[in-house]
Amino acid sequence: MTRIIELNKNNLNRVIEITTNTLKQGGLVVYPSDTVYGLLVDSTNYDAVEKLIRFKNRPFGKAISIFVHDISSFSRYLCITSDKIDLLMNILPGPFTIVANSKHKVQKSLESEKNTLGLRLPKYAPVIELIRKLGKPTTATSANLGGRKPHYSIQSLMKEMPKSKKILIDLIVDAGKLPRNKPSTVIDISGQKVEILRKGDMKVSKINSFISNSEFETQKIGNFIISSNYLKNPDKAISIILIGDLGTGKTEMTRGIAKYFGIDKIISPTFVVYYEYEIPISPRASSLNPSKFEKYDNKTGNNKFLHSRNINNFIHADLFNIEEDEEFEHLGLTSYLKPGNVLVVEWGEKLGSLIKTIQKETVCFVVEITHQGEKSREITIQKLNKLK
Amino acid sequence: MKILSIDTSCDETSVAVTSDLRVLSHIEYSQILMHKKWGGVVPVIAKRAHQENIDFVVNTAIEKSKIDKRELDAIAVTIGPGLAIALEVGIQKAKDMANELGIPLIPINHMEGHLYSAFVQNRNGNPKMDFDFPYLGVLISGGHTELVVLKKHLSYEILGSTRDDAAGEALDKAARIIGFGYPGGPVIERLASQVNNADKYKFPQPMIGSKNLEFSFSGLKTSFLYKVKSMDNKEIKKELCYLASSFQEAIFQTIMKKTKQAIVKTGIKKVLIGGGVSVNLRLRSIMRKMVSEKEGQIFFPSFKYLNFDNAAMIGIVAYIKIKNDFKCGSLKSIDRVPRLSLLQSIK
Repeated sequence: MTRIIELNKNNLNRVIEITTNTLKQGGLVVYPSDTVYGLLVDSTNYDAVEKLIRFKNRPFGKAISIFVHDISSFSRYLCITSDKIDLLMNILPGPFTIVANSKHKVQKSLESEKNTLGLRLPKYAPVIELIRKLGKPTTATSANLGGRKPHYSIQSLMKEMPKSKKILIDLIVDAGKLPRNKPSTVIDISGQKVEILRKGDMKVSKINSFISNSEFETQKIGNFIISSNYLKNPDKAISIILIGDLGTGKTEMTRGIAKYFGIDKIISPTFVVYYEYEIPISPRASSLNPSKFEKYDNKTGNNKFLHSRNINNFIHADLFNIEEDEEFEHLGLTSYLKPGNVLVVEWGEKLGSLIKTIQKETVCFVVEITHQGEKSREITIQKLNKLK
Repeated sequence: MKILSIDTSCDETSVAVTSDLRVLSHIEYSQILMHKKWGGVVPVIAKRAHQENIDFVVNTAIEKSKIDKRELDAIAVTIGPGLAIALEVGIQKAKDMANELGIPLIPINHMEGHLYSAFVQNRNGNPKMDFDFPYLGVLISGGHTELVVLKKHLSYEILGSTRDDAAGEALDKAARIIGFGYPGGPVIERLASQVNNADKYKFPQPMIGSKNLEFSFSGLKTSFLYKVKSMDNKEIKKELCYLASSFQEAIFQTIMKKTKQAIVKTGIKKVLIGGGVSVNLRLRSIMRKMVSEKEGQIFFPSFKYLNFDNAAMIGIVAYIKIKNDFKCGSLKSIDRVPRLSLLQSIK
């Protein structure tokens, strides 16, 4: 039988006592939070967590975050360094879910398939005091059935709930209508899981080294790389892998490469991962200092360059936001590895296993840019050896 | 006029059913499956290019709209800007549906949607707002930073845009530099609010001296990086909120000042704000103050979800296009344009 109690200004302690008892007995509780109504069970109780998962119709392997009551819980439940904790203190408590690798101190089924766990430290006394009293975290998932919107009032929640679900709830704590705050923002600090290329993975020959003292010079070096190689290699795509820290000028280098094809609207593709440009059949005049850049002229080009869509593409990719190797399968980058196409990849060190395919299918250059001061950069260009 | 719209330009597979300016239903894949972006199963990028969800999302949107799909008058779809492989998924589905139902397919520029997002109404027709051109549009998102004049419906003149990084992207990267993961915007906003948005470090406001209305945030990012590199860990910890706040101020003050210049230059005092960053309360307050000093009016997306990428705004633009005698070409001619500019918007 579901018990409903009201939470008001004067009865917090009593509500917490009742809720704690219910949770300790493996109960499922609907409880208010700083965002939406949440579904709470004891995160260390196997049966209680299973009950919750059944209730939510949650597919196995989909993660559920947990409520904690203080900052030190983050190092108790997550693999996380002390400097990260200090950082987190600046935004917590608040409407954020922090995701990192789990220390497996709560039920395994709350973790993601990648063994990460999400922690919530809300700025909301009824939750904080409850967890403190209970002495362990509870689940912090929104009180709704899988596939439905979260709820801000008990009435709307009950309206949606079929009888078969209602009987699974042991206790409802009704705090009235909650302010319509959005569910929390998830911040993943688990770190990069993509395979980072090491020097040893790439066998290179022919090292060229330059110093660039301005964005313009970086562009010119980019222009040099493509102009001295594009027409020489009609049988394969050209790929240029850019490796360098934030702010070294990778996008500037790309801009220089693109200018060779008369493409002058290069902006950072970080947000969408890659932008596709057409390599014009008749090259347009580049608007900026045209005399200083080598230009591709299609008259000297080769008919082999024309393909199914009758267009050659210039791909400007930026792997900054890529977090898992699996994501490459969905990106379709390999479909661009056709003769006449040019692929420029920022944060190319994250290419992982894809580097082998690129090395096989393209004429590949690795360009490394390093800071030599705020304006000056060292740029090394290496050609990857052919895979045998 | 009932339109089903599809947007797969970015993070979400999003589908809406609209009736004139009203949204009958709006469904995002993540809503259906997890409510929170953290599902632990599908990585972000995979989700962008996900083909499996589209049918499910379309069906749910139709079901929630409480209309029959045979009542639809047109299909609308985002053809760019965005990730090529993700755009394709939506375009293919839209073509199939237009074929099946024998109704027109309207190709839409995603950024047009953001410009019109202040005019999107809920099911009951609220808020009611009449169009009163001209407007000055300010688009601020993870992929775009643009100042646009709308002289009349569907007519855009770009006054200036970013030459490198978008404002939202710069905020994400700054968060990464000081040690936070993705997404960075909300974190920076939070840190900044703790020191009342103080501008302690006075980072350079890029291109503020120049007369043109272009933006560039890449140099700002570099100078932020150098500032942080010059500090030891203890100092960074101590100054974290001030660093975040100063960076955010440099970006927002630049956007505000450029918008102000644009108001002076064009004499247009009605300002439309759109794109993901427009959800930021500090940005809203800076822009509101400036526009009210100029005795103008400012309009933000009418509902919170409209700040972000969504198909509802795409349906609204499609309706306006049809009302303005849009002639559709053959289905075959509709293709993705990943770097579609507002100027290429098809009338």
